[in-house]
Amino acid sequence: MLGYLARRLAMTIPTLLLVAVAVFTLVRLIPGDPVQVMLGDNADPAQAAQLRTQLGLDQPVPLQFLYWLGKVATGDLGHSITNNLPVLPLILERFQVSATIVLVAVGLAACIAVVAGLIAAWKQNSALDLAIVGGATLLLSIPSFWLGLLLLLLFGLKLKWLPVIGYVPFSENVWQATLFMVLPIVTLTAVEIGVLTRMARAASIEVLRLEYVTHARAKGVPEWLVLGRHVLPNAFAPTWTLIGLVLGHLLGGIAVIETVFTLPGLGRLLVDSIFARDYPVVQGCLLFTAVIYVVVNLIVDLCYPLFDPRVAVA
Amino acid sequence: MALSRPSRAMMVGLLALSAMLTVAPLRADAETLLRTRLNADIRSTDPGTNRDANTDGVMAHIVEGLVAFRDDTSIGPMLADSWTVSDDGKTYTFHLRQGVKFHNGAGMTADDVIWSLKRWLDPATQWRCLSEFSATGIAQIQKIEAPDAQTVAITLDRPTALFLSTLARPDCGQTAVIHRDSVGPDGKWIAPVGTGPFKLGEWKRGQYVDLVRFDGYAPRSEPRTGYTGAKIAQVDRIRFNIVPDGSAAKAGLLSGSLDAISNLAIPDVEDLKTRSGVQLSITPALGLTGILFQTRDPLLKDVRIRRAIALSLDTPQIIEAVMEGIARANNSALPIGSPFYGEVEAQGYTQNIAEAKKLLAQAGYHGQPIKMVANKRYSYVFDSAVLVQAMAQAAGINIEIEVLDWAAQLDRYNRGDYQSMAFVYSPRLDPSLSFEMLMGPKAAQPRKVWDDPEAQRMLQQSMMIDDKAKRQLLFDELHRRFIDDVPMIVLFNGAEIAALRNNVKGFAGWLFGQPRFWGVSLQ
Repeated sequence: MLGYLARRLAMTIPTLLLVAVAVFTLVRLIPGDPVQVMLGDNADPAQAAQLRTQLGLDQPVPLQFLYWLGKVATGDLGHSITNNLPVLPLILERFQVSATIVLVAVGLAACIAVVAGLIAAWKQNSALDLAIVGGATLLLSIPSFWLGLLLLLLFGLKLKWLPVIGYVPFSENVWQATLFMVLPIVTLTAVEIGVLTRMARAASIEVLRLEYVTHARAKGVPEWLVLGRHVLPNAFAPTWTLIGLVLGHLLGGIAVIETVFTLPGLGRLLVDSIFARDYPVVQGCLLFTAVIYVVVNLIVDLCYPLFDPRVAVA
Repeated sequence: MALSRPSRAMMVGLLALSAMLTVAPLRADAETLLRTRLNADIRSTDPGTNRDANTDGVMAHIVEGLVAFRDDTSIGPMLADSWTVSDDGKTYTFHLRQGVKFHNGAGMTADDVIWSLKRWLDPATQWRCLSEFSATGIAQIQKIEAPDAQTVAITLDRPTALFLSTLARPDCGQTAVIHRDSVGPDGKWIAPVGTGPFKLGEWKRGQYVDLVRFDGYAPRSEPRTGYTGAKIAQVDRIRFNIVPDGSAAKAGLLSGSLDAISNLAIPDVEDLKTRSGVQLSITPALGLTGILFQTRDPLLKDVRIRRAIALSLDTPQIIEAVMEGIARANNSALPIGSPFYGEVEAQGYTQNIAEAKKLLAQAGYHGQPIKMVANKRYSYVFDSAVLVQAMAQAAGINIEIEVLDWAAQLDRYNRGDYQSMAFVYSPRLDPSLSFEMLMGPKAAQPRKVWDDPEAQRMLQQSMMIDDKAKRQLLFDELHRRFIDDVPMIVLFNGAEIAALRNNVKGFAGWLFGQPRFWGVSLQ
């Protein structure tokens, strides 16, 4: 187990190195100069040159990369060009917000989707199946920003049940924080239910057709037991992989939802930094996202044997 | 035991009465909080250094300079009570206002003014406007003295008409007079200890900036005007919430989560006009939207083609469609609100398709594509580009729009790397600066749109003389040349639109566009 873990972790090093090179290069390929964005349309050329020197942007790009990589190796992602704050604490602070929403939303979506998918598969081609598949497809097709705005208008503006603007951390006030989190979580849950339900249904249909399920039924095992003990764990394995991918993807940023609900999350930080050409923050966010992706998928792989004993971690 | 009907009513009445008695005194003591919106976080709390428009707007509530812009963009006294200028135009003697206190309770003296000015002029501060006081700027400061505790004399190396307006520029942080406690012993910035009507409360990055009323504030006696006059804080606290999304901000206003939102998008105006509980404040602004031409481009170096594009446009119709009737057409580099905007400046281009076609034929134009760079960050800029494209097409001009993000467009603008470009300039509060942002030698400054040495000499003259009539003549002549040469087509100056809940009283927009929350109360 430990050997497997060490091997997997060792494999992440070249991956992250490649990501670092790609991120650094791509960010600099985007047209636009952070100094010009900072100084605006009446930038004095001498002042721009001075600022460029101060930020180290006048150095050759390979030198800038080596300098940055050296810092990253020591855990220092540099300082924001825009506000001179250290990048790593900035990312970690914003990540807490995104992670809370994503973990709760994906958890809820998984619970609902797995059950819905199992029922749809069990009642395949029935009206119930059609309703579940139709609902899942609808949720899958709705853009998250549109759904978010719709919920905002309904629950925030019309019914006035929930706050519209702002964010309160859980460390300050649990009840207030919960109120602010409800709409973004519901939005993200709804969107993710669609994709997970379809996967859970497809996997369940496949398992339901297997001989051991027929055998269990022939033995007279009650249907709820067949579904709960024999179908669900086996059908859950592919869904679990998908959950891992979804988690890794979403933890990297839910910029649209964070923008609509004015949440200071990682996605908004990344988008704002791209517009401002804040290279260190963009690089930091993307590298951090890559690390999260790798870690989440590692955890998913390590959990796999729990659902499918045939998969050994060796 | 079940209560009888009268008993229930009595209970309810008693409960309501007790609630009123409990709430009433609380309301009297309750803090008044005005909640407004910023579309992006501020850059820093150090005015005039690491800044943008949002930073300038917030900092204007905290710090003040010796002088400030009035509503009509003229210069008025702020921390200075008055000033005199020596006969040679080089020495400005400022007499400071008595009784001004910093947020830490210390009284403001000439010593603080000198300390602040020296800090701004120290290259380590990285003041945005330092270059204005360099050899290539408006003038160099030779001497700063304090003849007494309430007087400061600043001597320049040459006379300039732009000294006071540069000191007052919001992007220069109004050359704020701050207390030395604003920086640490190592000279590093801590937080602004200014003299403004509000002091910095809490800044939660990415969430909000809180400003708290400064109880020791000494207001001026004149009425509020621009960034000067009486700046009386009528709320205890202002919270600038960071709300990037315009729809979310609008929902916040309608739900009562926000009291005021500025920088409102044009399409929201019609919707909000019909909403109860909301009032709109629409003010002409100084920003300038127009179409830039690269006069070094093989095709567009021919003034006949540039003029043909100008003559193909029905500018008032473009404004009507893009700004929905809340702005006026203006082909001048001077904004309509400027005190120097007169009859001459009101003369611009009139649509004449036949003349445009004639000019194109003379220039030998046969439908070669003309690329126009635009962005969608400012919807009115993109919409203007689309309408210009459509109208020019009627005259046989083939414009292709290339949409870039703002940073990429700014990069192309600064390098002069475009054929034509739909662009928006930030406000300039002095008429010389309105022309200066467009004029200059392209070889040295590729971002400049208008490269005319003779006009450049006239502009330099306008920066040296203080006489209003003489300056007016220069600006009139510059305008005529600008219209003849068509280095760009100015379309309009836009408008600053703010939406406020009905209980917000005393808000007034102004030409500069940044909202001011002194003199604003909640009822």
